[in-house]
Amino acid sequence: MELRANEFRARAAANLGDAKLQRGLGLIKVKAVVNRASAVAEFGDFEALRETGKAIRDRALADLDLYLERFEREAAARGAVVHWAENASEACRIVVDIARENGVKTVAKSKSMVSEEVGLNDALIAAGVTPVETDLGEYILQINDAEPPSHIVMPVIHKTAEDVADLFHAKHGTPRKTDPALLTREAREILRPKFLSAEMGVSGANFLVAETGSTLIVTNEGNGRLCTTLTRIHVALTGIEKVVPTLEDAATLLRLLPRSATGQAITNYVSLHTGPKHIEETDGPRQFHIVLVDNGRSKLLAGEMREMLRCIRCGACMNHCPVYQAVGGHAYGWVYPGPMGNILTPSYVGLENAVQLPNAATLCNQCGVVCPVKIPLPDLMRKLREEQMARGLKPFGERLGLALWGWAAQRPALYALGTRLAARFMKWLGGRGRLIHRLPLAGGWSDGRDFPAPAGRTFRELYQRSKR
Amino acid sequence: MSARENILGRVRSALSRKVSPGDTATIESHLAAHPVGLQPPRDWEPELRFRARAEALASTVEKVSSLQAVPAAVARYLVVNNLPTGGVCWPGLRKLDWIGAGLGMEDRPARGDDLVGVTGCFCAVAETGTLMLLSGPDTPAATSLLPETHIALVDTARIVPFMEDAWALLRAERGRLPRAVNFVSGPSRTADIEQTVTMGAHGPYRVHLILVG
Amino acid sequence: MRVALFVTCLADLMKPGVAFAAIRLLEHGGCTVEVPRTQTCCGQPAYNSGDRATAIALAKKALAEFEGFDYVVAPSGSCGGMVRAHYPELFRDDPATLKRIEGLASRTYELTDFLVNVLKLDSVPGDFKGTVTYHDSCSGLRELNVKAQPRALLAKLPGVTLTEMNEAETCCGFGGTFSLKFGEVSTQLADNKCGNACATGADAIVGGDLGCLLNIEGRLRRRGDLKTRVLHIAEVLAGRSE
Repeated sequence: MELRANEFRARAAANLGDAKLQRGLGLIKVKAVVNRASAVAEFGDFEALRETGKAIRDRALADLDLYLERFEREAAARGAVVHWAENASEACRIVVDIARENGVKTVAKSKSMVSEEVGLNDALIAAGVTPVETDLGEYILQINDAEPPSHIVMPVIHKTAEDVADLFHAKHGTPRKTDPALLTREAREILRPKFLSAEMGVSGANFLVAETGSTLIVTNEGNGRLCTTLTRIHVALTGIEKVVPTLEDAATLLRLLPRSATGQAITNYVSLHTGPKHIEETDGPRQFHIVLVDNGRSKLLAGEMREMLRCIRCGACMNHCPVYQAVGGHAYGWVYPGPMGNILTPSYVGLENAVQLPNAATLCNQCGVVCPVKIPLPDLMRKLREEQMARGLKPFGERLGLALWGWAAQRPALYALGTRLAARFMKWLGGRGRLIHRLPLAGGWSDGRDFPAPAGRTFRELYQRSKR
Repeated sequence: MSARENILGRVRSALSRKVSPGDTATIESHLAAHPVGLQPPRDWEPELRFRARAEALASTVEKVSSLQAVPAAVARYLVVNNLPTGGVCWPGLRKLDWIGAGLGMEDRPARGDDLVGVTGCFCAVAETGTLMLLSGPDTPAATSLLPETHIALVDTARIVPFMEDAWALLRAERGRLPRAVNFVSGPSRTADIEQTVTMGAHGPYRVHLILVG
Repeated sequence: MRVALFVTCLADLMKPGVAFAAIRLLEHGGCTVEVPRTQTCCGQPAYNSGDRATAIALAKKALAEFEGFDYVVAPSGSCGGMVRAHYPELFRDDPATLKRIEGLASRTYELTDFLVNVLKLDSVPGDFKGTVTYHDSCSGLRELNVKAQPRALLAKLPGVTLTEMNEAETCCGFGGTFSLKFGEVSTQLADNKCGNACATGADAIVGGDLGCLLNIEGRLRRRGDLKTRVLHIAEVLAGRSE
């Protein structure tokens, strides 16, 4: 996917004025947020569940090498072929090679954010293989000239039913319809033959179970099952951090993931795949390939961003983030939007290529409060800001302002003088109405807000005066 | 050095790994014990809970006293809902008297144009109203997936409280996982368009559960 | 009980009345209040901007200024949160100072939390009459669990009717330098907050953090609302003082 993370501010500002987008985004607060809250309340001690989920993910990460090796051993013993990809291009090469070696012409894709991350679709197309997205949201994006998703769970959260109606009418040539049920049916009928004819299915993996060498996917539509049951070859593409130790660990995380993502107690389908089909079975793939992708994850494990690897890709953080709710996912300019994107994008593509993102947050911690595995998202964003500072990536004006402030704040007499002057100056700026309409050097504030003028004397001087 | 060695090498150094690679003693006890995590309180009776949850997730549920009563129940369901009176079933269900109930049920794998699929299940999970289906030569996965209507027989003696109980049952009876384990909790659905839930995405439109016991 | 007032840089510069109100409330509760003279800033702006060195320097300065008191009270969830929730992290590599910082952190409170849970005030001296709605600032709420305390105190004013706004707990969009760097988004969030607050019809929007209140009032006035008051809870509880 094209990286446009350093355009965040401009795109965010533009998205604020996009009335259609705002209508779509407005549904997040009344649906995703409300649904999660209901599911959490209905569960009972959700805080204890979060703590347990955190512990499971930490346990896996603490011995990630051992669990990965165990996963590989178990999977291979069951006939799966396990591949390792250090980076995006290797991951694509592996999948393309599997397709080439097996004469694959069409790939049925179940949703995979890692496939977006590594740019798999482009690589397949370049190799003459046609990828067909089967998740309804991803399919809508694909036929819309491969528009990128704006959310990791609900890819077209930014679109209205009218948008989809227009698109289907234009691309399918069918009569225009706006009822989501009818649109879904139409997609089902268009995609069903593709499931039945595709030679290869590519899925992601929500979890990798080390104990049994199984990949696990959660879906509601059934496309995940279709991609991985009907095709000759199943390729599961996944990040190395997805491993969990046992089936019981997976069961616990399955209580957290759907509730956090969509407010469901369980997704409609939970599928575990262990090895290819046996000779006596009538369905199932003859080959099962698992591609374990690093692409920066091992680096995170070593550093201050390690807790981010607990992420189970539920999307709760972005659903609850007031910034994401206001501007949508495309503004974040890459695969992962919202709070998790503020951390993962700079971590994976380099801070210098996504330097706005860790700053695109008020650190309100609404995300951290809902994260099912208790990732301290604002703390991680702050650490990236520290890295930004240490590497000299901060704009000069900000560095100067901070340096001045910090220097003065450590010199009480100077600070007292400076603030006395500032208080008088701002009072003067505010005039009779006691409102400053244009704050010098602060267009970001003043374009949309007045600034209440102070009374003109600092507390320090008034207090000292009162003590005499 | 292979990608595998590079990746594992980076992971090991990130973890300041002191034990030698391949020494899995640190993880063995957890894998062997596979302790259960946090479960919600079990303040319900499994069969009632299963039924309530399944219905809340838009499956229809009925109960019969024995397998012999199943064909008539299936026939009733299909007729009442204006559905075709025939379909495909799992091999193990072939012996039921479908013809006597006026149904044409074929024991073969489902194809893209089959409209009704009848399966059993390995067990059912009460907590979430979920069927656990295992792939196998006698339990083809496509039968519960391709047809628009999925009818599943659930032995009430095999309704277990939690998913962890289903894993325990699987380990006890089969020893290891089959190629595919599918947990199914109702008709397929999506909420991709305006977060409005619609039934019948790529999997079945409707799921009818017949509790037997 | 010797209590040091943590004035906060915003109260010092923008709204001294808030600090005076805080003193009044603490004295009403029987405290001896002192105001360490050389205090300037808790360091949160530096900390949140990634300037760890300045944050550490300011934390050490604050430690020296505030260490000797029984309690430190700040009319601000941001500053209180900075000291309680974040100062210890700044000294994770400095065990000697860390101990002292942890001591300071454990004795530092946001104002309403202190009034309710330590002083256990029965009454407050204020005489505000009218309807108010309360904005929960993020640091107070999520770092210090300030939620019930301001409401419990407002309930002690017979003339005050509290109406809750929708999304009271949603960020107002201030976020310190965020309000300057991403002004358009910040303004939108402030606008959302104003919309929710004004929908209650309250005479006054009340909160515990001046950063939020300046942001909300700034947007309110630009929207053309010159009538709705925006007040710090200390001002409401303490009555007119200056």
